[in-house]
Amino acid sequence: MFEEASEVFDNMFKSSFPLTFIVFIPAVLILVSPLPAEAAHEFTVYRMQQYDLQGQPYGTRNAILNTEARTVEAEVLSRRCVIMRLADFSYDKYQKALRQSAGAVVIILPKNMSAIPQDIVQQFMELEPEMLAMETIVPVYFAEEDDELLSIYTQTLTSSSSQGSLSAAEVLLHTATANGFQMVTSGAQSKAVSDWAITSLEGRLTGVGGEDLPTIVVVAHYDTFGVAPWLSYGADSNGSGVSMLLELARLFSKLYTYKRTHAAYNLLFFVSGGGKFNYQGTKRWLEDNLDHTDSSLLQDNVAFVLCLDTLGNSDSLYLHVSKPPKEGTPQYFLLKELETVVASQHPEVKFSMVHKKINLADDMLAWEHERFGIRRLPAFTLSHLPSHRSAQRSSIMDVRSVSPSSRHGAGEPPAGPHVDVSKLSRNAKVVAESLARVIYNLTEKQVQEEHLSAVVDWLTAQPRAAQLVDKDSSIVSTLEYHLSRYLKDVKRHYVKADKRDPEFVFYDQLKQTMNAYRVKPAIFDLLLALCIAAYLGMMYLAIQNFGLLYSVVRRITQPKVKVH
Amino acid sequence: MTLFHFGNCFALAYFPYFITYKCSGLSEYNAFWRCVQAGATYLFVQLCKMLFLATFFPTWEGGAGAYDFVGEFMKSTVDLADLLGLHLVMSRNAGKGEYKIMVAAMGWATAELVMSRFLPLWVGARGIEFDWKYIQMSFDSNISLVHYIAMAAVVWMFTRYDLPKTFRLPVTVLLALCVYKAFLIELFVHVFMLGSWTVLLVKAVLTGAVSLCSLFLFVTLVHSN
Repeated sequence: MFEEASEVFDNMFKSSFPLTFIVFIPAVLILVSPLPAEAAHEFTVYRMQQYDLQGQPYGTRNAILNTEARTVEAEVLSRRCVIMRLADFSYDKYQKALRQSAGAVVIILPKNMSAIPQDIVQQFMELEPEMLAMETIVPVYFAEEDDELLSIYTQTLTSSSSQGSLSAAEVLLHTATANGFQMVTSGAQSKAVSDWAITSLEGRLTGVGGEDLPTIVVVAHYDTFGVAPWLSYGADSNGSGVSMLLELARLFSKLYTYKRTHAAYNLLFFVSGGGKFNYQGTKRWLEDNLDHTDSSLLQDNVAFVLCLDTLGNSDSLYLHVSKPPKEGTPQYFLLKELETVVASQHPEVKFSMVHKKINLADDMLAWEHERFGIRRLPAFTLSHLPSHRSAQRSSIMDVRSVSPSSRHGAGEPPAGPHVDVSKLSRNAKVVAESLARVIYNLTEKQVQEEHLSAVVDWLTAQPRAAQLVDKDSSIVSTLEYHLSRYLKDVKRHYVKADKRDPEFVFYDQLKQTMNAYRVKPAIFDLLLALCIAAYLGMMYLAIQNFGLLYSVVRRITQPKVKVH
Repeated sequence: MTLFHFGNCFALAYFPYFITYKCSGLSEYNAFWRCVQAGATYLFVQLCKMLFLATFFPTWEGGAGAYDFVGEFMKSTVDLADLLGLHLVMSRNAGKGEYKIMVAAMGWATAELVMSRFLPLWVGARGIEFDWKYIQMSFDSNISLVHYIAMAAVVWMFTRYDLPKTFRLPVTVLLALCVYKAFLIELFVHVFMLGSWTVLLVKAVLTGAVSLCSLFLFVTLVHSN
């Protein structure tokens, strides 16, 4: 048979060319053509963060994987891709995978992020920074669950978990017939991106009234952070801050259009990038404006810098400062206005100031205002979070109230951090109102309770009946003085009753002193007289008979006298 | 309580003096003028005392509750002048011991009564407000009468040249008691927080005791010779 074949081939080569082509080329093509990629399932995965900040590397170093799938329950994990579901995720399992030098870790996130129970969300939020802090060469991926992926997981689970509990024969059978999965990524190994530019935006509203007006800067950073960059939606942190900044810009631009409401402050709005990476955008912007430019709004009169960070939820508001504002400064006025507005218009909000000194020894600055504080500009950050260490600021769980992948999701808010638009708009109102009061100097121009209270106290301290207040009275003169402070042409006007037919007649003796004397009835006097008469009678008798006493005494003192 | 009450108090205060004057037989001696002289001496002595006190004793600047024991003690010591006054009166009168004593005491006590009690009674007892203090004041004047008689007797005894040695000490003690009676009473009041009637009682008891002792001594002295 082989001889025959070789004979055919010889004939083919020696004889006509087209025949060779017809037979040869398809065969070659078939042999050479690449195998069609028939994967069981194709899905997008999002890799965990990988970055260097100030020379320190964070996150996972590796990107590619081409390994078999296992779940955590399997015994042998090395050089396998470990698949976990978020619901079953725990730090121990993750560490177990890493310890056994797994090839990769894939974490499956559920479709409906808002349906995850609260404790799992909290746990995951706390684990995110820890996962990032451990520098690992194992690539960690996140994938969004769908039915196929779920079935892959289930199958892998069954095969992994059953490995240890079967007899040897079953194991053999199982290894021979089981359905395994090979996870392959399509991309290349990760490398550093050169020349990546972080963009920030600034814009201004100029005030009216000459040169050298004070400037108010409103800042919010628009970037987000989470364990996986592609999954960092950052609804509350800092989507809320940016949306509030845009709303403030809109409001004040409308006010500044009209001459009557055009205030004597410059407003500078800055939307910064790189905020989550130690506020790189702000840092460079400040350097450019303060060191490298001749004249800039930041160099002259800066009243204060208000940074907005995470304001979309909760009923507390904190003003984070690195130095408590001194009295009389614009920052102090803003603080007071915030307190007043919150107390009078939104009593459900708890507002307080949090003082934290800038610690330059920390590798990351706490809040954005610290960048300004380092350059000696008065700044503070308004946030509903009491501490900068809150996990909410850098979590992938921070999503909008309705998850984008499930429109049929329940209307109730998700368990993780999210934006509650009603609270965001209330906070925006508070900020807008307080800024407006400082800018338009409205602290004096509305009803002041202390003033009212003082006047009422003074008025009610004395009676003001018409008969008592004559034209020289202190009440009249004080009122006159008070009015003349604010009004012009303050005059007195008198009215006296007509002589013949008086409309009113007043009488005096309106205040008297009354004495109460203790008295005894007349009988008492008589009684007393009788007693005194009796006493005097006794006295008389005693004195008359004094001689008796005398002789008694004499007898006592001279017992020895005997009449001889 | 008006005039009637004033009348009551006046009667209570003055009648014992009147009775004493009448019954001690002084009226027979026409001692009225001498009593008046004794009264004048009283006035003079009081004036001197007041000047002395005003000059040498600073005003008490303590709290309301504190009682300046030492200061008051010093002030009471000035009352020794009373004794001197009495002695002066008695030395100027000739006559028997009892006569001298009585004249001096009567004049002295009456002067005191007129000066220190008449005015408050006139002003106060005639008012509408009733207060027991006027009655108490009148009683007090009675007690003062006995007290001054005793004091005069003790002074007389003290100045007798024929006073036996054994009597010296009691006489001195009694003398001291007489002078410091007011101080002691005030001390009692302050320490025990006595009411006004109780004070009167204490005064009466004290004066009674002193006068009884002096009577004893007097009788012994007079009739031992």
